[in-house]
Amino acid sequence: MTENQTETESNAADSASGPLEIGGLAGVFGTSDHKNLGRLYILFGLSGGMFALILNVLVRFERINIGSVGVLDFGSSNQFFQTWSLSRTSLLFFCVLPLLIGLATYLVPLQVGAPALSFPRAAALAFWTWLIGILIHVVTVFADGGLGEPDPTSQFAQGMDPEATELSMLSIAMVVFGLLLATVCILATIISQRPQGMTLFELPLFSWSILVAGGIWVLALPVWLSNLAISWVDFQGGDALRYGAVENIWDQLSWLWSQPMVFAFAIPLLGIAGDIVPVSAGVSQRQYRVQQIAIGALGGLSFGAFAQPFFNPDVTNQAVFVIMGLLVLVPILAFLGGLADTSIKGSPSISAHLILSMVGMLALLVGAGASAFYVSGPAVGAIQEIDDSWLDGLISWLRDVQGTVLATAVMDHVLIGAVIGSIAGIYFWAPKLFGYKLNRNAGMLAALALLGGLVLAGGSNIINGILDEGDEVFRSSAYDGVWDSGAVEFLNVVGGIGSILLLAGLGLVLVDITISVFLQKGDAEDVNDPWGGHTLEWATDSPPPIGNFDQPPVVENERPLLSPVAAGGDEL
Amino acid sequence: MNMATTNLPAAPPARSRNLLVATGFGIAGTLMYFGGIFGVYLRERAQVRSSGGSWIPDKAHIELTPPGMIIWTLLISVAVIQWAVYSIKRDDRQHALLAVGTTLLMGAMVLVQHGWQLSQMNLVADEGPTTAATLIYTIVGSYMVAFVIAMIFVALMGFRALAGQYSSRQTDGIVAASLYWYSLVFIYFIIWIAVFIAK
Repeated sequence: MTENQTETESNAADSASGPLEIGGLAGVFGTSDHKNLGRLYILFGLSGGMFALILNVLVRFERINIGSVGVLDFGSSNQFFQTWSLSRTSLLFFCVLPLLIGLATYLVPLQVGAPALSFPRAAALAFWTWLIGILIHVVTVFADGGLGEPDPTSQFAQGMDPEATELSMLSIAMVVFGLLLATVCILATIISQRPQGMTLFELPLFSWSILVAGGIWVLALPVWLSNLAISWVDFQGGDALRYGAVENIWDQLSWLWSQPMVFAFAIPLLGIAGDIVPVSAGVSQRQYRVQQIAIGALGGLSFGAFAQPFFNPDVTNQAVFVIMGLLVLVPILAFLGGLADTSIKGSPSISAHLILSMVGMLALLVGAGASAFYVSGPAVGAIQEIDDSWLDGLISWLRDVQGTVLATAVMDHVLIGAVIGSIAGIYFWAPKLFGYKLNRNAGMLAALALLGGLVLAGGSNIINGILDEGDEVFRSSAYDGVWDSGAVEFLNVVGGIGSILLLAGLGLVLVDITISVFLQKGDAEDVNDPWGGHTLEWATDSPPPIGNFDQPPVVENERPLLSPVAAGGDEL
Repeated sequence: MNMATTNLPAAPPARSRNLLVATGFGIAGTLMYFGGIFGVYLRERAQVRSSGGSWIPDKAHIELTPPGMIIWTLLISVAVIQWAVYSIKRDDRQHALLAVGTTLLMGAMVLVQHGWQLSQMNLVADEGPTTAATLIYTIVGSYMVAFVIAMIFVALMGFRALAGQYSSRQTDGIVAASLYWYSLVFIYFIIWIAVFIAK
């Protein structure tokens, strides 16, 4: 054997074992391969998550007052608002959606047995549109732009820049357009590229959840874009009448971060947990069709494009909104019941991805509970005919929580739950994504930090909501009329600690990926199917070759790789 | 059973309908976008009217002739682009391309008529900006952008047909472009009724 032969074989062996091959700058900028695009989305999404959580820490610190002294002072309500609103846009558009779309871009073609994503060049265009858009948006916010100002009288005195504001609006539209385009590519893949024998009801739960969530995103995000377009047109020329007035811009856009719409961004969390739990338990998912219906029901209950308080201030008291806010608990509970049933039937092996997925589901459940509490005032008010005076008092108190940080608590639990679920997916599919397993202990520690952070940060917002701290924390009026200012201040300190824990948890994940994947210290043994997966992505190499599969797979059920013995007990 | 047919090779797998599916989602997104603007427009107009105000500025000139011409042009273009679909399904590429070209010409006419109408409406010149003007400009401007996208889509599919990509065996591109075109004609029909007729 010659030296050259040895080197060639060694390279081939390296390639087969699956280290991440970026392929240089040309490979990054010129790629339209769904696997490269998926990895890029995930890595930028995690980085965006760090950015969003740093902003979140700053916002939490601004809310802390020790005595009469603030720990952090942005100088004005406008500056505080810029950070506050950017933390929200970053969390959704720079972290949650790219993480979910990244996982879907990578995994959906594999799960449905397709050789590639539909419209790969459009998918690449979508990625770069999103990335350039989000970078422009961040720069414009730091250049005194942003999506409006709460206090227009001091806008120009503080050097706010109308041109930067205009560019902020255009860039965020660019971001949403990119995400929509990516979603359409994924949806087309699910519908048109399934292999012979795989009906929609035999999709793996992650792909099914992406189908449901993507459908809701495609229907709702254009409505949000229309709000943005109206604001942008009115903003032109500096004589904005209403929609483009700087104090009104955010109010028209905020419904995307409020219930019920915010739940649409956590739907894939169910799919991730639904793929992880049966594999961890070593049995097929019980009541598979019921799980699919639960995901579909959550999709239906999260379509919130109608719930725009700017145009309909009374919408939070209206029947559809209240019923959706209450019912959103049902599919989540049903889905959790299905997971519990599956776990009981099998023998779950404890792993980082299992713990992370359960933490994510728990966060979503608490978010749904907070959502039900949020609408409980109007719900109880609907039966006011049987009232007496104490019921009036109760209803009045319950209605009052609607303007409080309870709304932020719902958003925190749902969106951060989605981030935690995405991290669970990254740990579960890391062998497939990168060719390396991530560190189990680091994942466990990250799960602990994220759980602790969410309990402190989200929980403090729930209690502060009950104590009547206003939701628009950038206004000094948010603290008018709180029941116990000392308790609110203490809980804001607790929330600040929680936000630091969240940041630490996500940072730990990034460190783990850096060490395990980029420094190649991770476990690269048995990466093709390390967990005994049930779905098609585990039937090919890790990372998969170009074309994904040697032969187009033919499947007959939603878990083609599960042994008939283990699958035998399934009831559907 | 006729043995001659049972010995035939299996039929090829059904072809992928990627473009039609993606166009369906694109149409859904476009309809929701305009639905969002129409929702705001109708609500705001109803509120202004219920408070006794005038929705359209008094000195604005919203005449029915240009929108009427636009809707007729669009309705004719529906028949023309369907002619493209009909022709490509019969491998009549010459007439398909003629139909695609004619559709694009009619699209250009629609854009010119929109531009002329916008220049004549006088929505803000005399009375300054109004909420009505903002919303009408948003609706018409967004429609023109969507329409340009539709024209690019039709032109691209026309070029692909010219290159031989579409025939009676594969008509998806032309059909998808025609579906998007129909959806925009439907949207303009709503604009015509809700904005220009009902004012």
